[in-house]
Amino acid sequence: MQSSRYAILRLALLAFVAAITAPPAAADPPWSLAPLARPAVPPGASHPIDAFIQARLAKEGIPPALPADPRSLLRRLHYDLTGLPPTIDDVESFAAECAARGIDDATSRVIEKLLDSPRHGEHVARHWLDAAHYADTHGNDHDHARPNAWPYRDWVIGAFNDDKPYARFVAEQVAGDILFPDDPQAIPALGFLAAGPWDDTLMVGVREDTVDHLMSQNLDRDDYVMTVMSTFQSLTVHCARCHDHKFDPVSQRDYHALQAVFAGIDRADRPYDTDPALHARRRTLLARRGAIERRDSTILAAMQAPAEAARLEAAVTAKQTRADAFQLLEILAITSVASPGTIHTPLPDGSWLASGPTPEKDTLLVTARSPLRDLRAIRLETLADPSLPGGGPGRYEPAGNFHLTEFSLAARPLATADKPAVPVAIAHATADHADSNDPVQGALDGQATTHWSIHPRYGENHEAVFHLAAPLTTEGDAILTIRLDFQGATGHQVGRLRLSVCGPELAPADRDPLPQALAALVAKPAAERMTAETETLFFELLRGEVEAELAALPPPEKVYAVTNDFAPQGSFKPAKSPRPIRILERGEVTKPLEEVGPAALACLPDLPADLFIRSDDEGARRAALARFLIDDRNVLTWRSIVNRVWQWHFGRGLVESPNDFGFMGSEPSHPELLDWLACWFRDDGHGSLKALHRLILSSATWQQAVAFDAAAAGRDADNRLLWRAHRRRLSGEQVRDTLVSLGDGLDLAMGGPAVVHFLDKGKATFMPDGGAPAFLDYEHFPADAPAHRRRAIYRFVFRTVPDPFMDALDVPDGGQLVPVRNESTTAVQALALQNDPFVLHQAGRIADRIGTTENIAAIVDALVRHILLRSPSAEERALLAAHAERHGLTAAAHLLLQTNEFLYLD
Amino acid sequence: MPSTPRHPRREVLKTLSSGLGGIACAMLAADEAGAAAPFLHGGKPRAKRVVELFMTGGASQCDLFDYKPRLEALHGQPFDPGAGKRVEASISTPGAVMKSPFAWARHGESGRWVSSALPCLAREVDRMAFLMAMESSSNVHGPASYLQTSGFLLPGFPCAGAWISHALGSLADNIPAYVTLPDARGLPYNGRSAFTAGFLPANHQGTVIQASAPQPISHLRPPPDRTDITSESRAEGLEVLTRLNALHGEARPGDDRLAARMASYELAARLQLSAPELLDLASETAETHQLYGLDQPETADFGRRCLLARRLLERGSRFVQVWSGPGGGSLNWDNHGDIPRELGAAAKGMDQPAAALLADLGRLGLLDDTLVVWTTEFGRMPFSQGSVGRDHNGGTFVSWLAGAGIRPGTAFGESDEWSWKAERDVTTGYDLHATILWLLGIDHERLTARHSGVDRRLTDVHGRVVREILA
Repeated sequence: MQSSRYAILRLALLAFVAAITAPPAAADPPWSLAPLARPAVPPGASHPIDAFIQARLAKEGIPPALPADPRSLLRRLHYDLTGLPPTIDDVESFAAECAARGIDDATSRVIEKLLDSPRHGEHVARHWLDAAHYADTHGNDHDHARPNAWPYRDWVIGAFNDDKPYARFVAEQVAGDILFPDDPQAIPALGFLAAGPWDDTLMVGVREDTVDHLMSQNLDRDDYVMTVMSTFQSLTVHCARCHDHKFDPVSQRDYHALQAVFAGIDRADRPYDTDPALHARRRTLLARRGAIERRDSTILAAMQAPAEAARLEAAVTAKQTRADAFQLLEILAITSVASPGTIHTPLPDGSWLASGPTPEKDTLLVTARSPLRDLRAIRLETLADPSLPGGGPGRYEPAGNFHLTEFSLAARPLATADKPAVPVAIAHATADHADSNDPVQGALDGQATTHWSIHPRYGENHEAVFHLAAPLTTEGDAILTIRLDFQGATGHQVGRLRLSVCGPELAPADRDPLPQALAALVAKPAAERMTAETETLFFELLRGEVEAELAALPPPEKVYAVTNDFAPQGSFKPAKSPRPIRILERGEVTKPLEEVGPAALACLPDLPADLFIRSDDEGARRAALARFLIDDRNVLTWRSIVNRVWQWHFGRGLVESPNDFGFMGSEPSHPELLDWLACWFRDDGHGSLKALHRLILSSATWQQAVAFDAAAAGRDADNRLLWRAHRRRLSGEQVRDTLVSLGDGLDLAMGGPAVVHFLDKGKATFMPDGGAPAFLDYEHFPADAPAHRRRAIYRFVFRTVPDPFMDALDVPDGGQLVPVRNESTTAVQALALQNDPFVLHQAGRIADRIGTTENIAAIVDALVRHILLRSPSAEERALLAAHAERHGLTAAAHLLLQTNEFLYLD
Repeated sequence: MPSTPRHPRREVLKTLSSGLGGIACAMLAADEAGAAAPFLHGGKPRAKRVVELFMTGGASQCDLFDYKPRLEALHGQPFDPGAGKRVEASISTPGAVMKSPFAWARHGESGRWVSSALPCLAREVDRMAFLMAMESSSNVHGPASYLQTSGFLLPGFPCAGAWISHALGSLADNIPAYVTLPDARGLPYNGRSAFTAGFLPANHQGTVIQASAPQPISHLRPPPDRTDITSESRAEGLEVLTRLNALHGEARPGDDRLAARMASYELAARLQLSAPELLDLASETAETHQLYGLDQPETADFGRRCLLARRLLERGSRFVQVWSGPGGGSLNWDNHGDIPRELGAAAKGMDQPAAALLADLGRLGLLDDTLVVWTTEFGRMPFSQGSVGRDHNGGTFVSWLAGAGIRPGTAFGESDEWSWKAERDVTTGYDLHATILWLLGIDHERLTARHSGVDRRLTDVHGRVVREILA
C-alpha cells in the first residue's frame, strides 16, 4: 500500500514477467517453477501429511491440537465431501461406530460412503465453477440468458462423481472435441472455456470495422488465456497484456503466442449428441459441410468426376424449373394505410420502392393482378436497394431491418369488380432466411408481437413463399389484395418488394425459396456460366444436400461452449481459420506489431514451449496446449491442483493464492509437502481426485480440533503451520441447502436446465420488451415453490442481477475467477438471515416437522438436535423454551438457524 | 480474502465498517488517520462525501454543454473532418452534420454555454467546473459504463463507491457508506454489477435503495404477510440469539469473527431503526418537494432520489449515486433515434432535480464539503444517425463537478471544432476518479487491493488529478 512497497511490487512484477518469459537462466524463477521431485517423508507420523506437518510444528515447538470430537468431525466430513449436513441419526450412529470400531475405521467408512454419493460431485463442482467464473447469463449491459450453459455444469458434476483422472479432466476442458472425438461428452467439457462473461453488444451489435470490435475480440481471447493459465497453471500471465509496464518484448510475444492458441474460437451454442452413433453421424456430416464451405480440394475433385458433375447439373436443371415457375404479379397499387405521404414507385423489374416518411407502424395494401387460373403459392421478395437504410430491404434506421407482423391475402375475379374480395387461407410459409428468433411463421399467427425479420442479413435480397391452404381457382384473371402488416417495432417496414405466384406445376417442396447464393446462379444457363460459377453452384448444391441430411437428424443437444462453427449474427462471425495474432504495442489494438504463432509457456523446466503447430488448424492448437498442460513434466499443473484441493478442505491453500504461484502470490507454507502431494497425486494417485480427498481427510492434521491454544497462537497467530483446524463459515450454497434439507427437504433430482428463483416475464432474455434489465424480483418468488428445493448448484446464476440472499453470503456473481471466496460479516447478511422469506419459510417447515407434544422441553430438545445435531444445555433449553412459548416454535427454529454454531464448522 | 485475519481488531472493524451501517467508523477513521493510512495523501481532505449523478446511455455533449457554431454552419452537409480521418460510428453509417435542435445561450458570470434543454442547471453554471474534453476508450455501453464506474472495461472490478467505502467507511454508524439509487424504471447498464464491490469484501458494494418501491431496502423488514414477527419478538429474539452465541463463544476463544457476527446483528438493528426516518420524505417541506420537482410526473422519480441523496449525505453516507435513466435502448440518454424528443424528455426529468440538489446543498452549507459529480459513459456524434438521432461517441464528452474543493465557474479542456474528438486538455474517467479520490484525501496510486496477482487500483495504471479545476 505504501508507495515504496508499491514500487517494490512493481519491480517484482516486472521481474516475474521477465522470469516467466525469458529463458530460465536469465533470472531466478519463482519457487513454483523449480523442478518437481518427490521429497522424502520426514520420520515420525505414519500418515505422510501428518509427518510433514508435525515435523515442522516440532521444529517450532508447537504441539498439534487434539482430534476433533466425533460430532464436529462428522459435520466437517459431510460438508467437505457433499456440502450437506449429517442428520442427528448419522451423528448418533457415527458415535456408536467410533465406539465399536475405533474412530479411524469409522471415519474411513464415512469417507468412502460420502465419496460414493452423487452429492459429492454436486458439492465439488461448486468450487470448480467458482474458479471457472461460470454463470447462466452473458453479463454486461444486455445480460442475455445462456439457456444452454448447464450441460457444462452437469459435465463437471459427472466428472467429479466419476472421478475422471485429472489429466483427462483438464484435457477435455481445453480440447475435448479434438482429443476425444468419439466421446460425445467431451463437447460439454468445452463449456469451461466459454464460462466467463461475454459482451454481446460489442461482439454482435457493433460494426465489424470498429476499434471497439477488435478490442472486444482481444479481450475475449484474453479471457481464454487468463482462465486456462490461472486455473491449470496458477500463473497470472494475463498481466503481460498490461501496457504500461516496459516488458521485455519476448514476454509480450509469449502472452500473444498463448492468445494465438485461442485465435480460432468463439463462444456460442455448440450441438452435440448423447447417443454415440448419432454423434458420429452428425460429426461426419458437419465435417463434410466444413470441407464444402472451405472448398476443400478433395470435394472439388470429387464433384469434377463426370458422373457426379452430371448428377449435379441435373439437379441444377430441376432447380431452374422452380425459378421459372413463378410468374410476376402485376402490382396495380400500394397503399400505406398509416401514412398517405409514403410513396411507392414501380421499378422496371416489377418491384416497388418506398420513399417519403417512415411511419411508426403501418399496413400496406397491395393490389395486384394474377394471370393464374389455379394459384397455389405466392412469393414475396424483399429486395435490397441503395436508397434504403443499410441497403435495405427494410426501412428501419440504421440497419435496414423489417418486422412483417402479418401477411394475409384476399381475392376476387377481375370480371366482378363490384364483389368484395374473399379471404384466402395460407397454410404455411418458408423463407430463404429469418432471424432465428423471428421465423416467417410469426407473420401467419395473427399476433402483432411475432414477426418475420431478416436480422442480421441486411443489404441482401430475401424472399418468403406463402403456401395457400387450398388452390385458388378462377375463371379469368384475379385481383389479389395482399395485406402486409408492420404493427411491431417502430419503423420496421419493407422498403422494396416484388410479388410472384405459382400454380400446380411445381411440387410443394420445390416451391420453397432457394438459398440466396444459389438462386442467381441457378437462373443462369449452364453454357453462360464461368467455371468458377459452376463450382460455386455445385458447392452450394452439395451444401444444401448436407444441410438437408443434417436437418433430417433428430435435433442435437446444445451446450454453450467454444466453436468455430455457428450461424453468423451481426458482426459476430466464425473464424474460418485462426485470426492472425499480432503483438500489440502497449496492448492497444490500434498498434499492432509483428504476427506471432501459437506457443505455450516458455518458462517451464524441461518442457518446450513450442507446440509444433505450423498449420492453420484451430483444433490442433488447443490440442497441443492441452497436451502441454497435462504433461507429467509440467510442474505447475500438479502443484496447482493439489493446492486447490487442499484449500477446499482447509479453507486455505498451502499456497494462499491458488491462482498465483508467481512473485506476487504467496509462497507455500510447506513447500516439501506441496511437492510430495503433487508427485503422489500424479504418480501414485494417477490423478484420482477422490484418492486425494481420501488422503487429506484421513490425516490427523485435517481431523484435529479447532481448539485454541494461546501459547501456540503466540508463535503462529495465523495458524499457517496448522497446529489446529481452521473454523470455516458455511458457504451461501451450504447455508441454502442445509436450510432446505432441514425444512422442506431437498429435491435430489440431478442436472438439467438451471432453476430460476425469481419472477420474470418468461422470456429467455429476462428483458421485457427488449428494454432495460428489469429488477428481477427475487423477493416475491414464492418461498414454498418447488424450485427452492433443488440443490443450490442448480440455481440460475444471473451475472448482473444476483440473488440478494446469496449475494449477502459472498456467493460470487461469475464476473471474475474466484479461487477463494470472500468471507464477509455484514449487517446485510444479518438482515438476510433475519428477514428473507425463504429462510422464514424453512424455519416454519422445521417447526412443522418437529411436531407438537405437550412437553415444551422435549420439543426444544428435538429442535436443537435437528438443527445443531446435539442436545441443548439446560440454559439453552430454558431460553429457547421461553422464546417458543411466547413467539412460537418457528421463531425459536429461526433463531437457531442464525447462531454462530449453525453457520460455522468447528 | 477469507479466514483468519492478520490484524484482528482492524479487520473486525473493517469487515463491519460500512456495507450497511458501519461499526465504529469514527474509530476506524481515527485508527487509520493516527496510523497515517498509507493511501491518504496527507493534505487536508476537501470533501467528506460525494454525490454522483450518472446519465445512463451517453448524454449528448453537443446538445447540452459543448456549443459548436460550425455544426450550425454545416448542418445537413456530409460530415468530413478532413485529412483522410477515419469516421467510425458504433452501430450505424455516419450521417450528415447535425446541429443541435436546442437553442444555445451563455449563462452566469462565467458565461458558459448551455442549451435550452437544461434551463435550471444553466442557472447553476457558476458553481460548476466543467471537464469539456473527456474521452472514453470504448464506444459501447457495457464496457464504457464499467470504465466510468470501476476503471476497467470488464466486469468484476470494484466500483468507485466500493473503493471509497473500503478506504474511508461511513461517517455514521447507522448509514451505509456507499448507497446507489437506480431509476425506478430499471437498473442501469450492467445491472447490479454497476455497484459491485468486485473482489473487495461484499460489505463495500452499493446498498441499493429503490426509492419508489414498497420495500426500498432489500431484507430490511420481514415480508409483510409475516404478522407473527413483531418488533417485540424481534427484540427478544435478538437477546436470546446474543446469549446463545455468547455461550458458544465462551468455549471458543481466539476468533474475532464470532464477536463480529454478533456485532453485525446490532448494526442491522440500528439500521432498521434509522431507515424509516431516512426514507420519510414527507418530513420535508412542501417548498422542498416543489424545488426537487416531486409535484410533477416528469421530475418526480429523479427528484425523489436527489432529495433522498441529500438526506443520505446529511446522515453520513460517503458516496451516493443517482442514476438518470435505466439501461436498454430507451427512456435514458441513449438517443439514437430522436434527439429532440428522447433527449428532451431525459433532460426534463433530470434538469430541475439536479439543479435543486445543488441549490439545496448550497443553502444547507453542505456544498462546502460535499462534491457533486455529473457524468455519463460517453458522448454522442456531431452527425446524425437516421434522421435526427445520434450514435455513440467515445471521442469526446462532458462531465462537471461542483462543491467541495472545486474552483467554481471554470472549464478545462476543449473538443475539436465539431465536438467530435477531445482535442485540448483531454481528460478520462481515470482522471475523474483520481480527482474524486484526491478531494477525499486519497492518493489514487496508493489505494490498492491485491487480486489475481496484481495490486489493483480504481484508476488501473492511469489517472491524473485534474488540479486545474481545484480551488
